[in-house]
Amino acid sequence: MRKLLSLVILVSLFAMSDRVAAQDNLSPKRKQAVDSLALEKVRDLSKYISIIGDKKTPWSDAQRVIERAVELFMENSEIGVSSLGRQDVNYYKVREYFDRLMQLNYDRVTIDWYKIQYVSDLVRQPDGTYVGVITIYQRFQAYDKEKGLVYEDTTKKDITVYVKRKETQIGGRLIGFWDVMLGDIRVKETSK
Amino acid sequence: MRKLTWILVLWMPFTCLAQGSIGSFTGDESVFYAQTKQVNQFFLRFNGEEDNQGRRFYPGDPGYRDLKARKTYLNILFDNTSSVINPDAKFVFIDDVLNKKNPAFLDFYSKDWFAEVTATFTYKKEKVNLILYLKIEKQLNGYKWVISNVYFNKFESWFTHLQDTTNLKYFIHPMSHELDFMNLHKAFKETENLDFYLELGYIPDMTSLFVMEMKNGNLNFVDVNNVKFHIFQIPNWYFEISYFNRNSVNSGWLISNVLRLNDQEKRDLIGHYTHVK
Repeated sequence: MRKLLSLVILVSLFAMSDRVAAQDNLSPKRKQAVDSLALEKVRDLSKYISIIGDKKTPWSDAQRVIERAVELFMENSEIGVSSLGRQDVNYYKVREYFDRLMQLNYDRVTIDWYKIQYVSDLVRQPDGTYVGVITIYQRFQAYDKEKGLVYEDTTKKDITVYVKRKETQIGGRLIGFWDVMLGDIRVKETSK
Repeated sequence: MRKLTWILVLWMPFTCLAQGSIGSFTGDESVFYAQTKQVNQFFLRFNGEEDNQGRRFYPGDPGYRDLKARKTYLNILFDNTSSVINPDAKFVFIDDVLNKKNPAFLDFYSKDWFAEVTATFTYKKEKVNLILYLKIEKQLNGYKWVISNVYFNKFESWFTHLQDTTNLKYFIHPMSHELDFMNLHKAFKETENLDFYLELGYIPDMTSLFVMEMKNGNLNFVDVNNVKFHIFQIPNWYFEISYFNRNSVNSGWLISNVLRLNDQEKRDLIGHYTHVK
């Protein structure tokens, strides 16, 4: 999996590389390339969430996947969760969110991701980093051995994506590339 | 209404094709496709800058800001359950926005819009609601949201005597300067009447009070309850967008109010919303 990820990053790196002249602006074409990188990260995240939440995943494997999932995020990223039943938002650090997901007290859990995704424009921050939001939808179902399906919800996840211009030396040449990291996530239960 | 339903029915099969694909779950997604999922998407749909599959149009692309497509989008960008929105106003608004000679567009980077955020705080350990007003501001080559104003009824209650010209008891007499204002201590003794001594027309700066109370630790943020946006970018029109979380194709960020206003009325309305008289 990590191999695949490195390959994707490397290919993207070359596909989007510029000569030394710093290209800080995102043309529509470049934006599309950055969008696919960001979506790749979101796809990884959705996959990791499904594995962490799966009751069949052994504890040690889940821990390893949590590590991988945390690596997708900028430091200090949080996940803000609200449901239809309560107005307040619960904030969790990313690792805490994944730990809680792993420890959910159900016999079986299924996490499905709807096919839809929506990627916003990227807007430049004062520090030069671009920020955007990717919206995805998740269906969660929890089962009890005796009672069967005991809980289900569909949530909208608005995921912050940071895109930063970086440079690296490869074979003596300075290559520019766009680095993508995930940030805060707002999780809202959708109306039934 | 029937026309709108038909527009949605015709529009749906196309939208269900894409906007991209993240998972493999094949539940009914029609609501999510039709839903205006982000404020960003509201702006793009309003301007006709994305196709019905959510793909972005850029200047020069065929279909960019296409009038016909915009008409379809504009119709679905209204909360169709609203009793506040006048159907005639909606019709004229769409007609004005799509004026062939001078069509109107929204601009994320324009100053003529702001966010109204209702948030829960604790004030001296008691739960309270505050309204924060935020606007987009340019810094260097980037942008950020900044707090432009705050409304908290507690702050307002400290200034109930402003503009009061009937008071004949609480004032600093006009010859006080000859006494080095030695009588100020009397004015400052009863703090509940302090605002009688302020100049007529004084406007309290709620944002300063907010910063002070936050820094003093009296006010602490809990969380955000609600967000809406007030948009003044369309000539002669004001509209508000709010989030509708419901299981319907008419959901997400939608126009929750629209009013025809001249420039002076717009200024008055901004004053009313932001509690700046």
